[in-house]
Amino acid sequence: MRNLPPLTPKLLVGLTIVGAFVLWGIVGPFVVADPSGIDNIGLSAPSADHLLGTTQTGQDVLAQFAHATRGSLIIGLVVGVLTLLLSAFFGVVGAYVGGWVDEGFSLFSNVMLVIPGLPLVIIISSYVTDKSVWLVAGVLAITSWAGSARVLRGFTLSVRSRDYVLAARVAGERPWRVLLVEILPNLVPLLASQAVFGIIFAILGEAGLSFLGLGATGSFTWGTMLYYAQNSLALMRGAWWWFIPPGLSIALFGAALALINFSIDEIINPRLRDHTRAVTKRWQVTGPSSGTAVEGAAPAEKEATA
Amino acid sequence: MTHSSSRRTRRRALAGVALVSAAAFALSACSGAAQGGSAGGGTTMTVFNGATGTINENWNPFSPTLLQPTLGVIYEPLFWYNLAETSEPTPLLGESWEWNEDGTELTITTREGVEWSDGEPFTANDVAFTFNLLKDTPELNTSGLAASAEATDDTHVTLTFEEPSFMQEPQVLGNQAIVPEHVWSELDDPITTINQNPVGTGAYKLKSFSAQSYLLEKNASYWEEGKPSVDEIRYISLDNADAAAAALISGQVDWMSSFLPDLDGLLADNPDLSYVNTPALTTSIFTCSNADLGCEGPQTDPAVRQAMYHAMDRDQLNQLAGGGFAATGSPTLLLPERDADWIADSANLTTPEGADTDKANELLDAAGWVLGADGVREKDGQKLSMTIQTVTGWSDYISLNDTMAQQFKAVGIELKPTQLAWNEWNDNQTKGTFQLSLDSIGLGASANPYFTYNPRYSTDNTTKVGEPSYGQNFSRYSNPVVDEAIKAAAATDDEAVQKEAYATIQEEIVRDMPYVPIYINSTLTEFNNSKVTGFPSNEDKYAFAASWKAWDNGIVLKTIVPAE
Amino acid sequence: MRFVLQKLGFYAVALWAAVTLDFLIPRLMPGNPVDQLVSKLAQKGQVTPETRRAIELLLGADLDQPLWQQYLGFWGQIARGDLGRSVAYFPASVSDMIGQTLPWTLGLIGLSTIISFLLGVGLGTFAGWKRGSWVDNLIPSLTMLQSVPYFWLALILLYVFGLILGVSPLNGGYDPWNTFPGWNWAFIQSVIYYGTLPAITIVVSSVGGWMLGMRNMMVSTLSEDYILTAEAKGIHPRRIMRAYAARNAVLPSVAGFAISLGFVVAGSIVAEVVFSYPGIGNMLLQAVNSNDYALMQGIFLVITLSVLGANLLVDLLYGVIDPRTRARS
Repeated sequence: MRNLPPLTPKLLVGLTIVGAFVLWGIVGPFVVADPSGIDNIGLSAPSADHLLGTTQTGQDVLAQFAHATRGSLIIGLVVGVLTLLLSAFFGVVGAYVGGWVDEGFSLFSNVMLVIPGLPLVIIISSYVTDKSVWLVAGVLAITSWAGSARVLRGFTLSVRSRDYVLAARVAGERPWRVLLVEILPNLVPLLASQAVFGIIFAILGEAGLSFLGLGATGSFTWGTMLYYAQNSLALMRGAWWWFIPPGLSIALFGAALALINFSIDEIINPRLRDHTRAVTKRWQVTGPSSGTAVEGAAPAEKEATA
Repeated sequence: MTHSSSRRTRRRALAGVALVSAAAFALSACSGAAQGGSAGGGTTMTVFNGATGTINENWNPFSPTLLQPTLGVIYEPLFWYNLAETSEPTPLLGESWEWNEDGTELTITTREGVEWSDGEPFTANDVAFTFNLLKDTPELNTSGLAASAEATDDTHVTLTFEEPSFMQEPQVLGNQAIVPEHVWSELDDPITTINQNPVGTGAYKLKSFSAQSYLLEKNASYWEEGKPSVDEIRYISLDNADAAAAALISGQVDWMSSFLPDLDGLLADNPDLSYVNTPALTTSIFTCSNADLGCEGPQTDPAVRQAMYHAMDRDQLNQLAGGGFAATGSPTLLLPERDADWIADSANLTTPEGADTDKANELLDAAGWVLGADGVREKDGQKLSMTIQTVTGWSDYISLNDTMAQQFKAVGIELKPTQLAWNEWNDNQTKGTFQLSLDSIGLGASANPYFTYNPRYSTDNTTKVGEPSYGQNFSRYSNPVVDEAIKAAAATDDEAVQKEAYATIQEEIVRDMPYVPIYINSTLTEFNNSKVTGFPSNEDKYAFAASWKAWDNGIVLKTIVPAE
Repeated sequence: MRFVLQKLGFYAVALWAAVTLDFLIPRLMPGNPVDQLVSKLAQKGQVTPETRRAIELLLGADLDQPLWQQYLGFWGQIARGDLGRSVAYFPASVSDMIGQTLPWTLGLIGLSTIISFLLGVGLGTFAGWKRGSWVDNLIPSLTMLQSVPYFWLALILLYVFGLILGVSPLNGGYDPWNTFPGWNWAFIQSVIYYGTLPAITIVVSSVGGWMLGMRNMMVSTLSEDYILTAEAKGIHPRRIMRAYAARNAVLPSVAGFAISLGFVVAGSIVAEVVFSYPGIGNMLLQAVNSNDYALMQGIFLVITLSVLGANLLVDLLYGVIDPRTRARS
């Protein structure tokens, strides 16, 4: 695909870390012990039997970590996809169709945007009891798509008025074909970047909710792990093996996604590509240096960065 | 002092918060040496009573949202009931009391020489005023007292009840703060007043208040000679167990009651810190037991409840979930140590320690529960599978459920733990929309078993499933024999007659087991002895040690002394 | 004018939606305040049917009104600025409770947001100007800090600086032992001391975002023709950086800043819980946990209004600062 980002070291590192976590989330739960299995051993440091030690009730931290990785990734994925669908629908379709639909969609997403997310999530999740990871993911998605929708709308508006799109319409192509074939491909990098943001947001949001005691119940996520560790004063008792892995994983996974996003950003906005100012100057004077310019890449758009 | 909030986990503490901070938790804190001590050079101690977040000023002793030291520390009752051990009520503002023959008239002799903190003398008129105010103001009358009071002279007051009311005794004598007539008769609205300048007879009076902390100072004209000795008591609020543990270790707090995991380890490096464990609340599986009132599920079969009772390995539960701090309970739901005299059959004194799977299997077999192919028993197409609810974040309860689920598997019972928000959990209990629920049986108004049996087992205190239960009989238990015995016990102050009634009740409830006792949960109280000493201990249970316990706090605070 | 009207129309709709939501959510939640208060009292030991009646009378619970009547009443209340009485803190009024906590939140989170913004924009300007410099290379690691769960980082810092090193207070907004709230120097000093670590954690975890945004805008702006022109005219580079590039590049950040100021009230919950800070976020959590409808509604309303207000301000200001916005609408 022409929009594929070049494989920079940043991207490589990002993809590797994300890949490793995904693999662990898929395979891990099959190879570890029962995460809820209680053992009279109590809290214990890492050992040959328990590579990451045990919790307060002798549960294996590694096993919990494997299941938690899966749980958090599911939340990230679900929220990413839902955010993508919702924001694409309200942002792209609205902007493309225009008129009252656009006005309505835009108003709706703006209203959603100004209604504060976290308090709403807290209130909604205190309403729903016995929360599964799916539900928490749903709640997070509902409160987080609006920002993306606004960005996408702005971008779609600018693409819609480009000459080749106008040409396609004049040529009598059907509206949906124009949308899918002419416009959407241009939006792919932006959509990808929004989805990645959505995933980071979701994992962090879930962790925050769990910390407040409002997260998924009865299932393992990085957030709930931290919550129980915190509840058992893991940090104060020096049980780093319980407190550090989930937090660090969130940080690492988020950072890896951010690295991927940097690469995507550089497609969306070629001017951000890795040059020193000196190189940039040269580039501007001598024209695009070979190989770095990506054909068809969208120019910077105010709404996209704002 | 809701136990639930006083118990450990942060979520609990949070849930208990506001409402409870008032009524429930007492914090006493000593001004940390770290903070430089008090200005006047006297002793200031800091208490954490479980208050979290912003503290709302409310010294109205009738209000459900009052600040906990209002009861016992600033205002005093007539007598004080020590629930930590068996003892006679201690005279405070009262000196003695006497019932008439049929229990409709209670005459109280009040103490002489007591002064309100504004210098006015305390008389029996204040007592009469307090009880009449209650009777005339239904909004304040949370105990449903309907006694009209009359002071016959300055030291005698007579309360007249409409019916025999022996069992109102602890409520009247030990659970009602006496307010000054000369202040409260002038108030426009005793219902919503926050009583900003409380005038009481207690050992301490309010010095300053802010939304994060308040300070009480010694009442110099306190009636008991030589008491109190500590000059100032500072109360603070802390948000969670983490903050509480940190505050304790760093010496900011001198008295608090929080469940802290690995307490021994945390206190090890600090010779000034110590703790006492005073188990008092019986953690039990509450079952929705009564099919007639609408309960559904296998737990409506008494054999299933009995089987659970025998199938649990309480030793393991204590080790893994109770931190090893829990004490052995009794199938009669009383406290074996304190209440041994009230337990008629010595076989019912304590619960078993280990699991008796044979007995459990036997019971289930006899009741017709047949082991299915998947290892879960069935009867008439119904699987022996039940959900048990607890509150998100109550980590010890969650561990209990996880462990019991494994233990019950051995006898073919499937236990499905669920975690709910406090609201929902509470709502389910009140409405009876649960199968099993993990909760604890709290302390009554006095050590008399009436205050355990009446709220939990009498038909008056329950209602159909789906309707909010006014009383605390969440199990929907209804048994005419028990009702009869409860009434009989209430109609007399003859302990021998009461014992007989309780023996009947115990026989019924041990067989029916609507609440399946697990163990008596720990109540851990931590002290910093560097500034003050003389707290209650297991050797000297002169009061309930927990910093959230209303009334007892007043006793503790006037008994402790500055450290040498 | 049409622009302004359109905006105001939008905000009217947003306000209506927020208030309606605010009205509905607590009513959809399980349990009711009377049951809650009764259950909490029950744990003290003494609960009789009379208790319930007394509490009902006390709270003046009137949940039997039809919903639409309650809804109209709710608007009436808001119009009068009467947010009702808190249940958990009865008999305190919701406005009082909010008044008590809001200043703490505005002070701590507001100041941290401003510091974070200034620092981020400053560093971002520099990073964009000198791409590839060490400041520029700092950006990935700073953005990484944004992926660290805030409470996790804050707990660790609190543990290290508060408990192990003992250089920072462990909890609260000020020293209640030696100071008393008021306009005295000791108290103010104590507030600053207690607020420092929370503020640092907030700045550390949010500065990366401002920096990246500013840096990217800077880079984009620097390739505009007018910068080239300015360079060609021989204007001093520092002047180009400040007057030509940064001034234009900062526009989106300013918009973002105003919006995030609006979210100051909302974004503070986790921070306040970690540091036991006596702010409005902490109180919201308590209100949720004690089913205090009135308090929850009040806080949610304050949060929504502050966000709406900030957005309105930005929109109007933006129309003035950047005429292109107006044209596009």
